[in-house]
Amino acid sequence: MDRIFEQMPVVISSLNIGFIQTLKLFFVTLLGAFPLGLLIAFGSMSHFRPLSYFSKFVVWIIRGTPLMIQLLIIYYFPGLVLHNPVWGGGEAGRFLAASVSFILNYACYFSEIYRGGIQGVPVGQEEAGLVLGMTKSQIFFKVTLLQMIKRIVPPMSNEIITLVKDTSLARIIALQEIIWAGQAFMKGSHGISGAIWPLFFTAVYYLIFNGILTVLLGRLEKKLNYFR
Amino acid sequence: MKKLFAILLTVVMVLSLCACSSNSTSDSQSDSGSDSAPDASGGSDMEYVKDKGTLVVGITDFEPMDYKDDNDEWIGFDADMAKAFAESLGVDVEFVEIDWDNKIMELEGKTIDCVWNGMTLTDEVTSSMECSNAYCNNGQVVIVPSDTADKYQDTDSLSELSFAVEAGSAGEKEVAALDLTYTSVKTQADALMEVAAGTSDAAVIDSLMAAAMVGEGTGYDKLTYTCQLNSEEYGVGFRKGSDLAKALNDFFKESFGDGSMTECAEKYGVQAAVIEQ
Repeated sequence: MDRIFEQMPVVISSLNIGFIQTLKLFFVTLLGAFPLGLLIAFGSMSHFRPLSYFSKFVVWIIRGTPLMIQLLIIYYFPGLVLHNPVWGGGEAGRFLAASVSFILNYACYFSEIYRGGIQGVPVGQEEAGLVLGMTKSQIFFKVTLLQMIKRIVPPMSNEIITLVKDTSLARIIALQEIIWAGQAFMKGSHGISGAIWPLFFTAVYYLIFNGILTVLLGRLEKKLNYFR
Repeated sequence: MKKLFAILLTVVMVLSLCACSSNSTSDSQSDSGSDSAPDASGGSDMEYVKDKGTLVVGITDFEPMDYKDDNDEWIGFDADMAKAFAESLGVDVEFVEIDWDNKIMELEGKTIDCVWNGMTLTDEVTSSMECSNAYCNNGQVVIVPSDTADKYQDTDSLSELSFAVEAGSAGEKEVAALDLTYTSVKTQADALMEVAAGTSDAAVIDSLMAAAMVGEGTGYDKLTYTCQLNSEEYGVGFRKGSDLAKALNDFFKESFGDGSMTECAEKYGVQAAVIEQ
């Protein structure tokens, strides 16, 4: 136990650096996947067949394969098959490749949630808009959108919290997020070797962050309650 | 309006796909001249690295070969030698931590230029990489809790133990050859953790690593190492067909000859293991 207290400062500072990577990946993914998901949702709801088939095909591929494989393919495929390592070997390249994989993956999941939210708004709303002489885009932005957001908050919260933990998959392409940082102490890092507890301690970071997210998302849900 | 939007969206999506693919194919074409050359002629991997100006070294955090000092700078016997080698080529050196399981993919995908991290020269390694001459001796040793160590001093006594070994490691091969019961885990550190946690009776890891990581004053002070199962050698791995391997052999000869290699090894306490070049 004494040893743990001795190691604590070094381990915490190293885990913090790892957790910043985790957070960066988390926020970048959300920023990219929110709009891209909406685009894909429009695509799969389109009456223009090729577009909707294409969107559904993409969603099928991305949802049908493990994120870990997607990470490996997106990072290694350009160098291995096309002989052009577009991402480079450094940390920035690994982060970029991980971001692209995560954004694509989560956009596909989000798109299905958006679609459910949009199609869940009663047809009468759209008809009322048409009667009032609104255009389709006016109807979407002024009538449907906020009602959709209200509907999708609970399922989106689920995905967002899953995303926090999924970021740990990026260690497969050696992105040094918090689990990587925790594991490093088992083999030896910063003069500490054979320490097992840092790996388990990373759970505390996830728990606290997810706790904060849960509270925030709960508040958002309450705020949107006036729509009923 | 909606149709127009849909068509626009399709066009954008298809274009973006095309853009990706055409971009990469044209790049790969323009690259293929220099890329396929090292495979064919063994001539220009060194030029590729020199053009880039950086030798990217794939490592893991592995004391005393590659590890970080207090200033977050990579040091260790391997790291220092890699810096010196890069200097002799006139390029910068960049250390990148990799997932050890993916080392061949990293090399072939050109995200790194060499693996220089106390890598045991096994058949798998030598058949998939262009390896340098061996520069360091190593062996696989058995790790057991100190209080039972007396019972397990020779290989005959090991049959009753359950082992934890790193998947794909030299240790796994030795244990399999002796027909012992074992579980494969992800890293050597995980194997140590198994013994510390009592989920396995014993582990097999590198002797250089064991010397640094178990025993008095380390994180695993209740563990110790007993018998050595084999002897093996460390080498540096490059892309298949790379001319850098030969350049490194020459560099090793030179630095062993002038004593700078031994000097570097003494700094990290591995001088006894260095192989004459």
